[in-house]
Amino acid sequence: MSKVYFSTWNGEFINNIDKPEEEWEESAYNLPATYDDHRNSRAFIGWDGVALFDKDVDVIRLAMEYAAQYQEYSEACGRCAPGRWGGRILYDQLDKIARGEGSVSDMEHLKEIGKTMQITSKCEIGKTVPNPIIDLMTHFEDVFMDCITNQKPSKHYNEEANYIAKITAPCSDMCPAHVDIPGYIEGVRDLRFDKSLEATRQTMPLAHVCGRVCPHPCEDACRRSNLDSPISIMELKRLGADYETNHSLGFFHPMKKQKPNGKKVAVVGAGPAGLTTAYYLAADGVEVDVYEELPVLGGEVTVGVPEYRMPWAKYLQDIECVKDMGVNFITNHKVTADDMRRFEKDYDATMIASGTRLSKKVRCDNERPEITGYWGAIDFLDRVNLYEKFDIKLTDEQKKEYAIDADFVDLTGKIVACVGGGFTSMDVVRCSIRAGAKRVIMLYRRDEKTIIRNTTYEEYHESVEEGVEFMFYSAVAKINDENDVLKSLDIDKFELVPDPNGGRAKLVKIEGATETIEVDYLIPAVSQSAEWSHLPEEWDLEMTSWGSLQTNGKDYMTSRKGIFASGDCEYGPMTIVNAVGQAKRGASVISRYIHSGEITLTDDEIMQDHLSKLKVYDKKEKVTGWLAGLPRQNSEVLETEIRKHNNEEVNFGFTQDEAIDEANRCMRCYYIAMVQA
Amino acid sequence: MEKLINFKINGRDVAAKKGETILDVARKEDIYIPTMCYLAKATPNASCRMCVVEAKGIDGFVLSCNTPPVEGVEFTTDSDALYKERQNIMKLYHVNHPLQCGVCDKSGECDLQNKTIEFGVSEQSFAVKDQARKKKKWGVHTYDPTLCILCEKCTTVCNEIVGSEALFVKPGGYKSHIEIDLKNCIQCGECISVCPVGAMASTEFKYSANAWELKKVPSSCSHCSSACSLNYESKNGKIQRVTNESDFSSLCGAGRFGYDFANYDVQKDEKAFLNAVEAFSNAKNVVFTSNITNEEAYVLNELKKKLGFNLVNDEARKYQAFMEAFSKTANTSLYHATIQDIQASDYVISVGSSLQSDNPMVKFALSQAVGYNKAFVASIHPVEEIAISTVISLFIKNEVGSEEAALAMIAEAFVEDKSSQIEFFDELDFGYLSGESNISDEEIDTLKLNYTRKKNPVLILGEDVINHPEAKNIAQIAGYIQKNTSFKVLIIPPVTNTLGVSLICDLDEAQDGYSVGYNTKADFTLSAKGDGDLDMPALNQQEGTFVNIDKTLVVLNAGIAYGGYELNDIANELGLKSKNVIDYTSKLGFKSVEFDDLDNYYDNVGNAYRGYKIEPILNKQNIKLQDVAELGEYNGSVVYNRNPLSQFSVFTKDCKQIKEKLNLVGSKQFATAARIKSGDSVKFSINGVEYIRNFNIDIHMKGTIAYNPVFDIDTKSSNYRYNQVKIEVING
Repeated sequence: MSKVYFSTWNGEFINNIDKPEEEWEESAYNLPATYDDHRNSRAFIGWDGVALFDKDVDVIRLAMEYAAQYQEYSEACGRCAPGRWGGRILYDQLDKIARGEGSVSDMEHLKEIGKTMQITSKCEIGKTVPNPIIDLMTHFEDVFMDCITNQKPSKHYNEEANYIAKITAPCSDMCPAHVDIPGYIEGVRDLRFDKSLEATRQTMPLAHVCGRVCPHPCEDACRRSNLDSPISIMELKRLGADYETNHSLGFFHPMKKQKPNGKKVAVVGAGPAGLTTAYYLAADGVEVDVYEELPVLGGEVTVGVPEYRMPWAKYLQDIECVKDMGVNFITNHKVTADDMRRFEKDYDATMIASGTRLSKKVRCDNERPEITGYWGAIDFLDRVNLYEKFDIKLTDEQKKEYAIDADFVDLTGKIVACVGGGFTSMDVVRCSIRAGAKRVIMLYRRDEKTIIRNTTYEEYHESVEEGVEFMFYSAVAKINDENDVLKSLDIDKFELVPDPNGGRAKLVKIEGATETIEVDYLIPAVSQSAEWSHLPEEWDLEMTSWGSLQTNGKDYMTSRKGIFASGDCEYGPMTIVNAVGQAKRGASVISRYIHSGEITLTDDEIMQDHLSKLKVYDKKEKVTGWLAGLPRQNSEVLETEIRKHNNEEVNFGFTQDEAIDEANRCMRCYYIAMVQA
Repeated sequence: MEKLINFKINGRDVAAKKGETILDVARKEDIYIPTMCYLAKATPNASCRMCVVEAKGIDGFVLSCNTPPVEGVEFTTDSDALYKERQNIMKLYHVNHPLQCGVCDKSGECDLQNKTIEFGVSEQSFAVKDQARKKKKWGVHTYDPTLCILCEKCTTVCNEIVGSEALFVKPGGYKSHIEIDLKNCIQCGECISVCPVGAMASTEFKYSANAWELKKVPSSCSHCSSACSLNYESKNGKIQRVTNESDFSSLCGAGRFGYDFANYDVQKDEKAFLNAVEAFSNAKNVVFTSNITNEEAYVLNELKKKLGFNLVNDEARKYQAFMEAFSKTANTSLYHATIQDIQASDYVISVGSSLQSDNPMVKFALSQAVGYNKAFVASIHPVEEIAISTVISLFIKNEVGSEEAALAMIAEAFVEDKSSQIEFFDELDFGYLSGESNISDEEIDTLKLNYTRKKNPVLILGEDVINHPEAKNIAQIAGYIQKNTSFKVLIIPPVTNTLGVSLICDLDEAQDGYSVGYNTKADFTLSAKGDGDLDMPALNQQEGTFVNIDKTLVVLNAGIAYGGYELNDIANELGLKSKNVIDYTSKLGFKSVEFDDLDNYYDNVGNAYRGYKIEPILNKQNIKLQDVAELGEYNGSVVYNRNPLSQFSVFTKDCKQIKEKLNLVGSKQFATAARIKSGDSVKFSINGVEYIRNFNIDIHMKGTIAYNPVFDIDTKSSNYRYNQVKIEVING
């Protein structure tokens, strides 16, 4: 909620003109009234209206400067007739009025052109740029007419003023890595797969990965769902990456690698956050050393995500792309507290991106790790993936520990129960099917709808097809063993009881419904936590209440200067794209910090944070000018009977036809927002 | 049966197939929707917004060019509101557009002019402060950004159709303009052909004629076997330019700019004519090239029957032999694939062709297959071609001479039921072939792996295999592959009408004795270049037909008049009786359709109506494949006879807009091994022909094989294209 002088944002109309400031009505939206810690905003203008925080704002110039952004900042524009010329006319005519040379007919022209742009422009920039301009012309007509009638410049026309603009889109705003989604989709539509990939890589180096295993929060913010169903945003990302890989054309980097600038940064962990930090810092001319505990690169995506979802050969391409930027990797090196102390001396900054690699307990009776058959999800997936992807076999000790005779995780004839509900647990049960288990049970405290929401529709249905048994409203009450060998589980049953006061429904145990199931393995995949043996105690880094490193969530510096953190070790177990987004921002902050010693955000980043708070996507908005009912494309998947028995990639990805049809559904919802600070 | 989407346009019931847009259906139904940026042959770029339509129950306008219809929706393509918005868009197109139509080349055929009239825009309603916009000239092109309306047709064809990625939009609101990445431009002029205004123009044509003064003759290109559809446009007795139905078809640079090869200002030279008649009567051999129409080839064949000379065209004879061998295992006289099949393919293997330059339309089609179908394209060739790396997914560098092994390995990998050639496959020593050809197991595995789920595979065979010492067995393996796999095979005819000649003529080997040459030097030479004993009309001065790469008989019309004697006159003098050479068209042995009844046009939605398809002759032979022969060795300096893109023959050689030079081009490694350097003048001989070339290093090339252009030689060689040579520097 912000106090405003005037606002037409998102259909509201607040007019405090002529009212004393203490009586000003508040806007219903999180408008950026304060720009940053040393500047207030004077005005905010965007696709959905305009808000003034200060009555001294020059509204004619504000409109003119906003129209100018269309020319200056928008990489998206110039691609349609109404936008290209219309946008220019808006600017020229507004400038003419602001200079004091306008005429009444200019006002009419502005409205006429504005309307044509609103109706016929190719993308939402062209359609929305006229909105706030027309709002200002309507509600401040007297101000405009005063300049026209008296042929005088607008009140601050000749003064210095600070206008900061940013281009965004609902999908990009929702994406934690803020990928230029309309940009890469346009690349597909134009059959310029190289350009598509470059658009992705501006903020997301892992195009193969996030074209496959991203939970795509962006699709929940796709305006196309206001019309029919969201664009298949994630899968379209694969087109560029596949093109590059299939044609061995070298790597399409969206930026030129800068000359070495003499600065050095250490990165702990070669997972998504570590790779992202390294890629963007290396591009900036920083010498980056990435330390990785495992013998292989890629972190959890390598050892956690199974081959059938994320083929190693494809992930390797993303990793090679990072290497191509000139990053040093040191594998088989578990960073210690002493290392960290050394890093602080030897490097200009350190990024901790060590993830969360400890499986949490399910919290039931007799839960003892020494029971044979009790197997943490992270360790289980490590064993499966290291063998499947790198042919790393089980050691004799491990065979004994897991009670497996083969060199690999062979579950033939075994019964596996997994407790979870998130992506990791899905990986566990589907890997168990592929490992030949006789019966695979997923125990989940809540219902089908929730598990789909927490993972994806495809993931859930594919696992059902493969034969995973889902037991909903179920939780392990007790582990039963014989001489430390797992035998069975007591399973409590729950029901959802609505709160009579209208609050959230509660899970209540159904007394007497407890059943016992025989199992050979119990794999807890409820969550993970971080392991912190590498943090020097004397640093006393501030931690969150859930045991991750504390930062302010904007610049990703920990409580110790020069020590940064991103990804799961900062946020807690979360998505790949979240790790990438944090690391990208962190890398940007580091790139300035190593030179100046100061923690700063760019204007673009500040605007990004404002817009995220304001929310770019509006699910209630009515979309016009598009034909509803064009079906979302679905790519073909490997047949169940075949995929159950191997590790081949399940999803074939779009054919080119499907991809182009899908790309054509994209409405290019670019918007421009601007602050006068 | 595919499900149709039923809907209405302007109250009429219509239906769309999957993939068709509202605009596609409207055009099919002859319902007019105005467009400025729409290009039927490419994906819509949706920049002009003129094609908006109304849809019942939907607020706002819907774009018709890239929106597929939805069942039951009713569209209106014309209303007052639509007219007004389209008129407003036209007003925007006029912002600062220079009013210089009087001196603009496009005047009279300009979309902007036409739509201005259509939407009644009588004045420039808006003007804005303009900025400096610089004209650009490169090669054959002039780009004037002040005239540009940013419809993006040029960038679209450059990327999608040609696959060059030379042109792109530099965005920036009003400042947006087209930029050029010069090193990628292949001077094909596709961008010029699709420009709706005068922005992208031919430098040569500028200020030479008004559109309405030009006489336009639809014909077929005579430079290569694609025989693309084109129009010769002439004024004052000279061809001024070539145009094409650019909405639907394409041309390469040679087709578009290599039109000035006509034999102008020729009069009837009676004495030379009588000498020619006598020469034919005395000839032991009549030698000709495949730069000839079907009708003239037929005339020569008739004269052979009458006079008994040897009819010699080694290049076509090799092709004929290749096709005959092919037909014995394919059980059909023709290969299956067409250029369209390449466009529609999702998997291509090419053996023995320089895809970069042998046939531009094959190259264009491959880049479309990659763009539209994510095609996997593998090229098995001894010289890696960097210029088409955006098209190629897998380059397999085989040893020179190992094409037969390559085909055998492909057959082994892709034929499932090998029972009919069990002996052949039993004898196949994969390890040996792999070692000798340098094609590894892994490469064949990669080929197979990428074949998964592919639906439309094509196998392209180039000149290297046709002129290979083991051509016969290669052809039989290829025929066997066509018959026993889902691959469609394409065997690129090396010269414009090689296929036609091979189907019409009974060809011989030359014997010692007096020879008459038609477009090739001999004791008595008939020449369309004007440098022989009797002048002949060039191919843009003749009526007739070709059989093109698509096995289609296409029409050739005279783009410009010819004043001298023709082959038909000589034939009549020697006893054949026919008023016009095209009287033979119905007698060629294909379909008995008269020349004047042959179609040569495109319909409203781009279906080509050009001549007719040649029907293959089927047979039931069952020939056993021969074992793969031992491979010869090619060491030292090897040159590969290959013309640069846009150069095909002596007929393109002197066309002034085609600049490719007669340079021997090789890698640094080649230069070092041959002890020559860039700029050296060198001499070497191949099969008795001496070549003097300037040598240039191409830094993108690798290996020890150099490109030797042969477009100055008047007869297409029928020898294997790779030759070991001794190179001598002759500087100074």
